Amino acid sequence: MRKFKLQGMMLIAFLYFLLFFAACSSVSQQNEMNDKDTIVAELPDTLAADQTADSLLHDDADTIKKMVPKSDQPRILVYNFHVTNRCPSCIAIEDATTKTLNTYFSREMKDGRIKRYIMNVDDDANRSIAEKYQVFGSGVFVTRVFKGKEATTDLTGDGFKYAKNKEEKFIEILKTKISEYLK
Amino acid sequence: MKNLPFILIAFFMAFQACGQPQKDTDTIISNNPTNLKLKVLYFHITNRCMTCRGIEANVRKTLDEQFRNEVETGVIDLYIMNCELPENKDLVEKYEAYGATLAITSFQNGKEQKTEDLTNWAFQKAHDPELFVSELKSKINEYIQ
Repeated sequence: MRKFKLQGMMLIAFLYFLLFFAACSSVSQQNEMNDKDTIVAELPDTLAADQTADSLLHDDADTIKKMVPKSDQPRILVYNFHVTNRCPSCIAIEDATTKTLNTYFSREMKDGRIKRYIMNVDDDANRSIAEKYQVFGSGVFVTRVFKGKEATTDLTGDGFKYAKNKEEKFIEILKTKISEYLK
Repeated sequence: MKNLPFILIAFFMAFQACGQPQKDTDTIISNNPTNLKLKVLYFHITNRCMTCRGIEANVRKTLDEQFRNEVETGVIDLYIMNCELPENKDLVEKYEAYGATLAITSFQNGKEQKTEDLTNWAFQKAHDPELFVSELKSKINEYIQ
């Protein structure tokens, strides 16, 4: 009877540890999923580039002329930086940036005047660009390139302040800055 | 069946250990409203990132190390608040603090004077605690001296 009771206790202890590790591994799986999301999130940039390339192959000569950015026009670079394990605000900033570009600047994206980059700062391949922008975690930057000169606005604070719970406000700020830089 | 309560407890403990995000409680330090010259307010969301926590730590460090006396005598108040809690709704709307937001508001003779939003600055300097503390110290001194 005593032996049976001891076995019962051991079974409970085993179950407890099993459940503990199951719960913990679900958290780490979530983190791994975040990593996968990062890869997916980087696709829009690739897709945008591919779409441009495809259009170049199939469209007529006039369209090709339009799609090559003129050197006398400013070009805009939009950067979303993030770390591997992302917080809700960081994800919201990227989503709001995507919405802004798709809603208000799809033509400029298509003709190459605006380029968008989503980069993981934990990735060694992105170290130099992260250092250039002095970004160590999440960040959103808009850079204007014109006649060999660059001007950059850091919208990280606005992103964290508004993107998650007041998205329309962040979209307005980002839209205004990009519009100003396009002139 | 006899062991069912133990199994349920094991379930509960396992999910407590790993399934719940850490909850922060609001901090309000307001020692003497008649002496008040500056309110320092930092808002955050429920699920926080390292940068957001770093900013809070830097703000606390600044006040602890540089303005301990002013905080104790009520010259400076500190508010650390979760902007997603319904009880903080009024302050959130006032400061447009819908996410991580650092702001300071000056007071004179009990009347509110000027508010400065330091959120963009805070995110730019968050990675350098020494610089953060030094610059925030200068900023606070502009208002309380």
